[in-house]
Amino acid sequence: MRVAQLTRAVVGIACLASGAAADPPPRVASLNLTSDEVLVDILPPGRLVAVTRWADDPDMSNVAGRVPASAVRLPRADLERLIALAPDLVVVSEFTDADFLHLLDTSSLRHHRLRGLASLDGIREAILELGRVVGSDEAAAGLVRRYDAVLAQLARRLEGTVRPRVLYWADPHTAGTDTPFDALIEAAGGSNVGRELGLRGMVPIAAERAFVADPDVFLVSRGSGAAAALRHHPLLSKARAMGEGRIVEMPNALLVALSHHAATACWRLASLLHPDRVPAEPPAP
Amino acid sequence: MTETRRRRLAFLALGALLPLELLVAASLGSVPLPALGVVRSLLAGLGLGTSPLGETGEVILWSVRLPRVLLAALVGGGLALVGAALQSLFRNPLADAGLLGVGPGAALGAVLAVSFGWAHERFLALTLAAGVGAFAALLLIYALAHLGGRPSLQGLLLTGLAVGALAAAATAVLLVAIEEQRVRAVLFWLAGGLEGRGWEHAAIAGTFVLGGGAALGLLARPLDVLSLGEEEAAALSLPVHATRLAVFGLCALIAGPVTAVAGAVPFVGLVAPHALRPLVGPVSRHLLPASFLAGAALVVLADLAARSFGVHVELPLGSVTAFVGAPYFLIALRTQEGRG
Repeated sequence: MRVAQLTRAVVGIACLASGAAADPPPRVASLNLTSDEVLVDILPPGRLVAVTRWADDPDMSNVAGRVPASAVRLPRADLERLIALAPDLVVVSEFTDADFLHLLDTSSLRHHRLRGLASLDGIREAILELGRVVGSDEAAAGLVRRYDAVLAQLARRLEGTVRPRVLYWADPHTAGTDTPFDALIEAAGGSNVGRELGLRGMVPIAAERAFVADPDVFLVSRGSGAAAALRHHPLLSKARAMGEGRIVEMPNALLVALSHHAATACWRLASLLHPDRVPAEPPAP
Repeated sequence: MTETRRRRLAFLALGALLPLELLVAASLGSVPLPALGVVRSLLAGLGLGTSPLGETGEVILWSVRLPRVLLAALVGGGLALVGAALQSLFRNPLADAGLLGVGPGAALGAVLAVSFGWAHERFLALTLAAGVGAFAALLLIYALAHLGGRPSLQGLLLTGLAVGALAAAATAVLLVAIEEQRVRAVLFWLAGGLEGRGWEHAAIAGTFVLGGGAALGLLARPLDVLSLGEEEAAALSLPVHATRLAVFGLCALIAGPVTAVAGAVPFVGLVAPHALRPLVGPVSRHLLPASFLAGAALVVLADLAARSFGVHVELPLGSVTAFVGAPYFLIALRTQEGRG
């Protein structure tokens, strides 16, 4: 290791020992869409130095058009550009590989890893933890209060309702337990067919098995081609739900939201599954 | 021009090209560094003078770029060494590391590491799992090939193909069943690439490539004798079976870790020795080091292209070498058929 790196490492350790590490990192870089969405809402614009290129894509992001112009859009996890930006904290996803994290460490870049985003409780905790790490506890708590309020009101509206059996279809994958889709379907007043079938994680499902499961509703991402694939599928096009026109298409940005926007996603799906009980838009904050 | 003069010129050219390429590759990237600054930083690393790069440039050079560039050289050099040795062993100028069957074994190990989440949680887990997969495949090939006594070269090769097919089938099953988010991580490895590799990866590759390469160098003369044919080699009192196994084992010892750190990087082992044979001749003590230098130069350049031309993602290194190697292979094949 070079002298400069060694010095930075020693200073870093000394700061940790003295408690100075508790100081909020002035410059934060985000390497995943979930943290893009949260950080845009809890950090002053000048402190967010980098986001992913997806942050501006309305098909993927719930903050498209709201990302500070000053934040660099990283087309990929480019370590050299990150080092040149010199952020005080890099926020990475659960799926960032350990070798890349090691390179962040050896480059003296501190990182925070988002975890537990497969459940609505996990998302709540991840937002609060991210808020603590970047020193925006209050702003993060504000997001979570709103998140909880939307989910609580949704739960009240759905009390006693009959739950349609929903199969998420991403040709040929579906969602079992321990997935955000399972959490979304259950919170939106549906019953996840993937869970019913004993599946875990995002896994492929044979068309015959999906057909025999006889879901009440197919849930697909809008614009992904999954709805067209279902309509033209030799077997699944003959499923009861298809005959009844029960394909629910959700905007992709909401469907994949693992941030506080997941509450809006639950609300929106519930409004499609239970239009008699849930209006299209969640209550205003 | 005499053969000796041609060979000297080839070594001179390769000896000049590789350091120049290493310097260019260490200078270019997402954040360009001045070439002179890189040289002065390298000298400063040796205690000669001071570096003008500044803290950011220093971190980029020493933590990210240098290990990657050196790793590219080791990967290319290692694959070319293996290709040169196997081309002599099989007396086929189009042989390369793909014949060993370690690639599919390494791929299976890598996919297992990703599907069980080890690659996301443990540093070097993917590399180690790929290495274990490569060596497990090799041991299996060796054991199966020896079931009915001493195997012929063809027997060893066909066993390798069968084991490779089995490993590839298991890999495909895992890839279909694996979670969507994890697939992306393993696809980058399967397509070959050096993104996110550091000094530890370079150390692993360096140990096996330089150690295995040195051992192969000691076998240069027996390898030349073997390339005359088995009967001729036996008539010259060469222990044919033991030598063959030693060369085969050393090739696997190099190819396994190289595949583990870089994924699939095809055609390098074929192109480098094949292109150099007319220049330096078929004698292994010349061909092996020349192939090492040429393979190293080829992959350093290919990696530079991979990280320079991709906008949203890096191009897979394996695709870049295939874009160069596949047309070369086809031309070489046509030429060989024309001669045949």
